[in-house]
Amino acid sequence: MIRGTVVGQVWATRKARGLDGQTLLLVAACDAEGRATGRLVVASDTLDARAGEDVTVAFGSGARNVLRAGPENRDLLCDAAIAAIVEGAG
Amino acid sequence: MILGRVIGQVWAARRDARLQRAKLLVVKPHAIYEPAFGTRHLVATDDVDAGVGDDVIVCLGAPARASAGGNDMPVDAAVLGVVDRFELNLEAMRAAGAGPGIKRALTVPAGAGATRK
Repeated sequence: MIRGTVVGQVWATRKARGLDGQTLLLVAACDAEGRATGRLVVASDTLDARAGEDVTVAFGSGARNVLRAGPENRDLLCDAAIAAIVEGAG
Repeated sequence: MILGRVIGQVWAARRDARLQRAKLLVVKPHAIYEPAFGTRHLVATDDVDAGVGDDVIVCLGAPARASAGGNDMPVDAAVLGVVDRFELNLEAMRAAGAGPGIKRALTVPAGAGATRK
C-alpha cells in the first residue's frame, strides 16, 4: 500500500460495465515523509474519502479485496482502492 | 488506475490468437505515471471504443486481463472508461505539497472538460 492525499474525483459515462458503481478518486501519492511525489493514482473509494484527507491506497489483489474480499474476486475491474483514511502517522 | 490520453492505435496482422479481436490503443499517461522502460506510453486493449484525443481511465494488471476476456489473456493494460469530467481540489493539492508533476497533470487535460474548484 502507499500513502496519499485525496485531491479530486473523475467521472466517466462511457465505461466498462465493471466500473459501474465505483467512485473513482484522484489520489496524490506521497513519499516516505508524506510529501506529494507528483504522481496521481485513480483509486476506487468505498469509505467516502473527501478531498484533502490522507489515505492509504492498496494495489493489485489487495485493492480487489477492498471491494469484495475473497479469492473469487478476479472478475473485479479495480487495480487500486482506498483501504484506510489516515488520522495520524508517526 | 491511471489517467491518460489516447494518441494512436496499433495494428497487427500477426498476433496472439487470444488478441485477435482486441483493439490496441496507444495511451500517453498524463505526466503522472511512468510506464515501464521509460517509454512514456502504454499499449492498452480497449473496452469502450475510445478514439484518438480521448482522455481515458486505464487499468493495469490482472483486472485488465479480466476485462479483456480472462486471466489467460496476454494483456496488462486496458482502457476501461472515457473521462467526461474530473475535478481537482487545488486547496487539497496545495496542502499535500503537490509538486510540479501534478501541476503538469493539471494543465494537460484542461481542454477535456476538467473543472477546478
